[in-house]
Amino acid sequence: MGILEIVSPTQAPHVKNLFGHYDTGGFYDEMFSSPGVPRPHFRHIYQTLSTMRPEVFEERRHLADLSFLLQGITFTVYSDGRGTERLFPFDLVPRILPRHEWDHIERGLTQRVLALNLFLQDIYGPQRILKDRKIPRPLVLSCRHFRREMIGIQPPRGIYTHISGIDLVRDSKTGEFYVLEDNLRTPSGVSYVLENRLVMTRTFPRAFELDQVLPISHYPAELCQILRSLSPHGGSDPVIVVLTPGIYNSAYFEHSFLAQQMGVELVEGRDLVVDCDVVYMKTIRGLTRVDVIYRRIDDEFLDSLAFRSDSLLGVPGLISAYRAGNVALANAVGNGVADDKAIYAFVPEFIRYYLGEEPVLRNVETYLCSRPDHLEYVLAHLEELVVKAVGESGGYGMLIGPSADGAQIDAFRRHLREDPRNYIAQPVIPLSRCASYDPASGEMAGRHIDLRPYCLFDGEKVIIVPGGLTRVALKPGSLVVNSSQGGGSKDTWVLRGDA
Amino acid sequence: MNQYRLLHITEFHYDGPVSESYNEVRLRPINDESQSCLSFRLSSKPASQHSSHRDSFGNWVHHFNILAEHRTLRVEAESVVMVHEAREMREDGVTLAAFDAMRDEVADEHYDLLEPTAYVPHPPRLTELIQEAEAAANNVVGFARAASNLVHNRFRYEKGATEVHSTVHDALNSGAGVCQDFAHLLLAMLRMRGLPGRYVSGYLVPRREAERNADAGAPPSMEEVIGGYASHAWAEVFVPGTGWLGLDPTLGGAVSEQHIRLAIGRDYGDVAPVRGVYKGHAGQRLSVDVRVRPAVDDEGRELLQETAAGPAEEPAEEPPPQQQQQQQQQ
Repeated sequence: MGILEIVSPTQAPHVKNLFGHYDTGGFYDEMFSSPGVPRPHFRHIYQTLSTMRPEVFEERRHLADLSFLLQGITFTVYSDGRGTERLFPFDLVPRILPRHEWDHIERGLTQRVLALNLFLQDIYGPQRILKDRKIPRPLVLSCRHFRREMIGIQPPRGIYTHISGIDLVRDSKTGEFYVLEDNLRTPSGVSYVLENRLVMTRTFPRAFELDQVLPISHYPAELCQILRSLSPHGGSDPVIVVLTPGIYNSAYFEHSFLAQQMGVELVEGRDLVVDCDVVYMKTIRGLTRVDVIYRRIDDEFLDSLAFRSDSLLGVPGLISAYRAGNVALANAVGNGVADDKAIYAFVPEFIRYYLGEEPVLRNVETYLCSRPDHLEYVLAHLEELVVKAVGESGGYGMLIGPSADGAQIDAFRRHLREDPRNYIAQPVIPLSRCASYDPASGEMAGRHIDLRPYCLFDGEKVIIVPGGLTRVALKPGSLVVNSSQGGGSKDTWVLRGDA
Repeated sequence: MNQYRLLHITEFHYDGPVSESYNEVRLRPINDESQSCLSFRLSSKPASQHSSHRDSFGNWVHHFNILAEHRTLRVEAESVVMVHEAREMREDGVTLAAFDAMRDEVADEHYDLLEPTAYVPHPPRLTELIQEAEAAANNVVGFARAASNLVHNRFRYEKGATEVHSTVHDALNSGAGVCQDFAHLLLAMLRMRGLPGRYVSGYLVPRREAERNADAGAPPSMEEVIGGYASHAWAEVFVPGTGWLGLDPTLGGAVSEQHIRLAIGRDYGDVAPVRGVYKGHAGQRLSVDVRVRPAVDDEGRELLQETAAGPAEEPAEEPPPQQQQQQQQQ
């Protein structure tokens, strides 16, 4: 087990008003339309916070941290060599979206999830889109996460993307939301969405008018409903399990949290066994048949017979059982081909091709390093661009040109030349900022944020709990919001109305 | 047209008890325009139920599990196959120049069969050999045949020179290998020239008893050496307008009615006849015995005498002793 670190409350310098030195810094500020003028949907919060004594705020903040700690809500950072379990820093200032903005986001996400699911059905089925040459075949077939084993397998009810986490950012230049990336494999973070709201209501039971905020607590029930509907025998009481890689996984807290919220078993690979294409759970009363698995293990570790033979995390024979239709998996196997960062560039085209609609939410401009002309441009502009490895997630394998040193840029130049297909590049988006508490100064300061809504798909409609996870880059000036890279989170409110 | 009865026996012997064994086998002969699979039966000892599916290359895959402890696993596949007359390899077909004009179109259609793979990387060292094959012919079929002959002539057939996971690099380094390496080498040459190539696993039927008797006293030919261990591998090249043509770089020529196809793929990794994982600390030994005999003679009578038998025993790789879950592969 790692060592748990908590930040003890620092003694803030004497401050009269939390917003005393607030500077919007030329970015789109979620709270202020111009310096000192709050947007209508932030007016109440601003009034509450700007009249709150800083000591009171500091005390509430400490209570909130304690609340997370006592519930064991932690995550693990892999790359710092210490395997340290940490609290996911929580910023008490909520991020608020007026209703009309959320409605726009919801429309955009709904069409995107529908199109991505249709793309997966197609690519593991008739491959119409390749024959119609809407996307280059080599680009699709060269995806590391394209699973040839899935060709011809029909997932229950045609659903691949049961749960998607789609990352949005607001560009300071236009004030518009853009899709930054799709996460269709095992997106994590929804437990923080639910816990942040809980802690928020406990910490400020009366201060905020939470009755004006759309509820989110039905997420586990909606997820459970979808999982139940996947049961292969259609019985009234299917056995559902959450399959986790185990306690050392960075998202283990979330796996146990969701299992508990849904009232289903949390299992590891060794708790399951396949016999004659049927999956069973080993219990003290013998074997119990399993119908639906919400799996939080990556494809390649899921079944040592079908995929990596050195994997000890999964369940050998599971893919045969899945192929035979005796067990349902959420998410489906092979989704990584659709959230590959090079395939991402074609999602607007998927929306036009499969739905005959124009995309509601736009993509960020993307250079595919597999294209010689794009590669040339990227190599000449590395200092201005963000370069990402196509198959990675969580902020790993990334170069942020403007803040990188010469050695890092040279390393990426080599990577790009050696394996161009593995990289894409995007302009640096000046992310919008939201007022966040800065413990060092004891005041509010603008910090860059993004938004990851969680979209559930039941085969017919897309269900999105209002809001999602707002991640915040707590280091001054930083644009990286990933928890693995020192980011934190905020409670995200969607108001019933526009203010 | 030839009809054969095949018996393919694979036996794993473990040093200690193993359990929770999961296996998939690609042992059912292909059924297409060049051969017909008339019957197929699979069984195992300990006994198990099996199910099957077609993989993305169209191969039949059968899978089964054995949960209880066991010390040996025997897999028996029995089939009857009719091999149709091999397609003639005419060299007056599409020229390399004409092929190059449609290269992008072919590359798009056959992407998977042109890209380097784990077993078949595209080492620049092969460029010279490719140029040599190109100097020998101006058409696709001629080039492929020349490439196959070059592999046959420049590399030594030697058991033990390579192992089951050896790549084209390893074969180039040792200058020798077995049919698997010869097929991989030919695939690298074809693909580097832009020609789609696929790996074929199958059997080579030894020449008939009668023909062998005529040669009594003569040293065994290459065919007989392989025939004792009838599992074989070769390659196919895609010829626009004609289709897939088989080439056997181990024997040096085109495929004949003596070649029975089991499965196709990008390389050996896609077509391993038997693959599995199991729980236990035991080491394993593998033995494979393939028997092939013509099912009927020229007058249509069923032949009872087997024309070839010969268990070949190969030590499987030694798995790390502490690993809980181990893999087996033939």
